[in-house]
Amino acid sequence: MLWANPMVTYNKRKRFSSVALWLCGGLLLFGSTPAYAMHIAEGILPFPWAALWFAVAVPFVALGIKRLNMLAKDDLSFKPLVGLMAAVVFIISCMPIPVPTAGTCSHPCGTGIAAILVGPFVSVLISGVALLIQALFLAHGGLSTWGADVVSMGVVGSFTGWFVFRGLRTLGASLGVAGFFAGLLADWATYATTSVELASGIRGSEPFLPLFWKILLAFIPTQLPLGLLEGAMTAGMVVLLYRKRPDLLVKMRVITEKEMTAHV
Amino acid sequence: MHHFTRQPQNDDHRLTRLDARVKLLSALALLVMVISCRGVAFPLLVAGVCGGICLSLGVRPRVLALRFAEPLFIAGMVLLLKLFFTGTVPLFSFTIAGWEVVGHRDGLMEGVRIASRIAGAVTVVAAIGFATPFTDLMGALAWLRVPKGFIEVALFAWRYLFVLLDDAQVVYAAQKNRLGYAGYRRGLRSFGTLAGALVIKAFDNSQNITTAMVQRGYDGTMPLLRHKPFRCGEVMVALLVVVGMGFIWSL
Repeated sequence: MLWANPMVTYNKRKRFSSVALWLCGGLLLFGSTPAYAMHIAEGILPFPWAALWFAVAVPFVALGIKRLNMLAKDDLSFKPLVGLMAAVVFIISCMPIPVPTAGTCSHPCGTGIAAILVGPFVSVLISGVALLIQALFLAHGGLSTWGADVVSMGVVGSFTGWFVFRGLRTLGASLGVAGFFAGLLADWATYATTSVELASGIRGSEPFLPLFWKILLAFIPTQLPLGLLEGAMTAGMVVLLYRKRPDLLVKMRVITEKEMTAHV
Repeated sequence: MHHFTRQPQNDDHRLTRLDARVKLLSALALLVMVISCRGVAFPLLVAGVCGGICLSLGVRPRVLALRFAEPLFIAGMVLLLKLFFTGTVPLFSFTIAGWEVVGHRDGLMEGVRIASRIAGAVTVVAAIGFATPFTDLMGALAWLRVPKGFIEVALFAWRYLFVLLDDAQVVYAAQKNRLGYAGYRRGLRSFGTLAGALVIKAFDNSQNITTAMVQRGYDGTMPLLRHKPFRCGEVMVALLVVVGMGFIWSL
């Protein structure tokens, strides 16, 4: 039966996606914001703002390094693990996710899952490293906007994800639900912070608030669904780890040994 | 995504052989000048010079276009945002579906200024990225007293980035061949599985790496690059370039 052939269904979907992509391309062109990508591009922020965000980011990165050195004293594998997690965050934040409402692809930040696994301070360090490599070799973000990107994606994203996950787990939520809301709110918090940074950086002599609302509203067509997708992705990852390798979650103190025994 | 793996592009180029510390300091000085510039000409001059350097390093125009696509798109969007949503002096207007859209002269000027700043800053960083191997850049950052913990994590990430990337591509191809990305719901589930599989691989690899490194004497710290002394000629040329650019910037 022809209609049951999955390849035919797939091709129809692909054609539909192409039409939707073209239709929404115009919407994206006129409805998107300057920070179409996750990171604020090199050179957008003037020097005083770039320096200010750098000064805000540095203490958090320093605390992340301190925490890393402390943990690495007990477990020699922790530094290589954090390096590899930085590589994972780099790869995740380079992977396109289709955003249906905008007819385009955007990418998740991955700091929610990093914060859940290694804690918020080390997650800030991980995002700092991933952002540095992306700035140098992919022109995603930049050296001058590194501080602002670390604050939005690393500090705000990681702490939001971590607090939401821990808070919901304390209230008795399942791993999947807690992971979903951690990913969702980490993503949205990142974009809200990015809007603040952009509005303050490019406003010139204009008032701050109107431009901030314009940028925030313009993010909604892409970031509202992307946040949901990132939430689902984070939940999927946590659940996959729980099913396949609960020992890793115990090692990272995400679940207790009792919970692992219950799973087995 | 592998377009950033071939670094540097041209080992024989004079800029590639230059001390990474000199290159990094010069690039940072240029970057500060570009983002603190209030005009349009200086950032565009820097963009032209650094773009030329990238081409002379043997970077293919296609790779350069790929690298600049996103920031230039953002620059264009900033220009449109500032033109239509900010400013007070009308420059032109047109009507779309009964809505009057007004472009402002001062908004346009501000937009062009930011767009030129983006172009200048992006080309500076691209030039140093193409001309310097990552390990040398990390060595230069260590010399600038960036904490060792940060450098070590960055070196681990860089070393194993390509291993994980290859793994991710294998898993992605396998999922795609089994229609794992046909439809948003399946695509999302596949993506979650892929990301989870990467995290598991990262954990397992980190254990294997540590075992291998401990057998080779790893005690929790990694020896970083030892720098050769600065060469006087290189420093003088870099100083001249930075001072010259600083003079143009001050105009």
